[in-house]
Amino acid sequence: MVMKGPLYHLYVIMKKDLTEFYRVRARLVSMILLPILLMLLFGYMFPGNGTITHIPIAIVNQDQSTGAISVINSFIYMAQSGGTFNVITYSSLSQAEQALLEGKVYAVVIFRQGFGQELSTGSATVQVIVDQMNPTLDQIVTAGIQQIFSQLNVQLSTARGFPAYFGTVSVNFQGLIPGAPSSFEFLAPGFIAMSVVMGGLAGLAMAFSRERELGTMDGILMTPVSRFSIVMGKAMAQAVRGIISGIIIVILSILLFGVKIYGNVFLMAIILFLGILAFTGLGIIATSFVSDQESAQMIMLMLEMPMIFISGIFYPVLQLPWWLRDVAYMFPLVYTVTGFRSVMVMNAPLSAVWNDVLVLLIYSIVTFAIAIPLFQRMVTK
Amino acid sequence: MSYAVEAENLTKYFRSLIAVDSVSFKVKKGEIFGLVGPNGAGKSTLIRMICTVLRPSAGKALVEGYDIVRQPQEVRKLIGVVQEKLILYAPLTPVENLEFFGKLYGLDSKILKERIKELLEEVKLSAVKDRPVGIFSTGMRQRLNIARALLHYPKLVILDEPTNGLDPQSVRWVRDYIVNLRNRGLTVILTSHDMYEIDELADTVAIMDKGKILEIGKKEDLKTKYGATKIEDVFLELTGRELRDEISGRLRRRGW
Repeated sequence: MVMKGPLYHLYVIMKKDLTEFYRVRARLVSMILLPILLMLLFGYMFPGNGTITHIPIAIVNQDQSTGAISVINSFIYMAQSGGTFNVITYSSLSQAEQALLEGKVYAVVIFRQGFGQELSTGSATVQVIVDQMNPTLDQIVTAGIQQIFSQLNVQLSTARGFPAYFGTVSVNFQGLIPGAPSSFEFLAPGFIAMSVVMGGLAGLAMAFSRERELGTMDGILMTPVSRFSIVMGKAMAQAVRGIISGIIIVILSILLFGVKIYGNVFLMAIILFLGILAFTGLGIIATSFVSDQESAQMIMLMLEMPMIFISGIFYPVLQLPWWLRDVAYMFPLVYTVTGFRSVMVMNAPLSAVWNDVLVLLIYSIVTFAIAIPLFQRMVTK
Repeated sequence: MSYAVEAENLTKYFRSLIAVDSVSFKVKKGEIFGLVGPNGAGKSTLIRMICTVLRPSAGKALVEGYDIVRQPQEVRKLIGVVQEKLILYAPLTPVENLEFFGKLYGLDSKILKERIKELLEEVKLSAVKDRPVGIFSTGMRQRLNIARALLHYPKLVILDEPTNGLDPQSVRWVRDYIVNLRNRGLTVILTSHDMYEIDELADTVAIMDKGKILEIGKKEDLKTKYGATKIEDVFLELTGRELRDEISGRLRRRGW
């Protein structure tokens, strides 16, 4: 008998788990269907193109010059004729901001004092404050306003409707939440990371509890294989499944919702991989205390659900109250989402997401350092 | 060394519940050792300790001279276990199941391939070696389960209720195969609720109840001692004829 090392056994267990998974069509289909369903659900809940119409927005005109009035009239005409917006004019900025905070309007377009004069000299800026608290509308509003001003700029450049002014209008978007991007690009990476992690956790609950329930875990435990190989082999099988699931979701996001990848795909895969590992370690610790599948799935659900809502997938973490923010930073999903999003949307290099990668790496090491002896204790006690 | 297993005061507690209470016994090499007892007697717990899956609370046991607590890896190489629950993966084929366990036992791939072929022929499953185990009958699965336990050339084979739920033909095959294992020089520990099976197969019998071994000895000696013609009569004499309403150990541990 030739004894091989723990890494070889790890590989054997991983391969068996993946083969078994591949053979059961229902599990395989669910792995493909779950991300598709989630992506369709979120993609259409937070659409990439404007299916919502007559969104109320506010205009505040602080400049009574002819140029400003001409541009505003054109803006109102274009905004309303397309059916996308209902434009409400406010006489003061404070009233408009109040309306924004109260949810009566979803954006405030501000033409500041001197707008007309700036335009006549070449370039003028319009300030737009967007309500990011509602991500559904946020990106439609932003894209819609941007589009109107782009069309206006075309008209200005031909100068037919505006004989006295030859400049262009640039738009300065500002969110209620400082620093957060306001488009589906903010949401998509979060959904991708979340779907992958959820799939991994669901599989993990199965991987250990099902084998314990069926009795096959005893069969593995009776072989001369280290507990490290058993735990890591199963974790790696989940990670591989997660990465495959991630690839499917990314392709779907690109094809169906026009999501763009600006960053390094390899770095994105590393972050997802570490995210799954960190979760797997956490999951093994949590499920070590139960022996049946159903309880394990319940524990996983209890772990997943709160994390999904506080980890910056739907809203920036900054929006959370400080104590909830601290709770969010105790779990690995927030680092996975932040790092993955930075690379995918902002083309962040490794140096920019190093903190997230490091935290996920440490998280994985620490949770597995706890999980392996805990697993050993639970199966032999 | 003439003993395959030597247990001394082996004890297992689950919190306040004592499942195995200071049990001592020896299993001679090359014999079939029948371990019998009513439900909840502690047989499975005792076997799981010998298999190194459960850690004893007290006492010690040696398998082929190796300590089950201090040298579990050595012990695992020497024992093959057929549990009541089948240790097989339904979506995988017999070859894939055996390959998986064979690799975990560290068998060289060439040797493993030969061994799988040999065992599948022995358990009459060569014709279905590439079909998923999920479609197999209980008898076929149990035969494959036995092949799995023998993959790594164990010296001690532990069979926990191996004929439970099988049809008469499969039962006959399993019983003949157990005798065949002894004839090849392997040591067998057999647990069963079927006293006829124990009577037919076992050389030595240990009768357990409430975590203790009540009686142990050569089958014929026990019959003579209790003036019985069958092991079943010895068993009932020792454990009583009243019906037992045993509650699962796990539930008892939870205070149900």
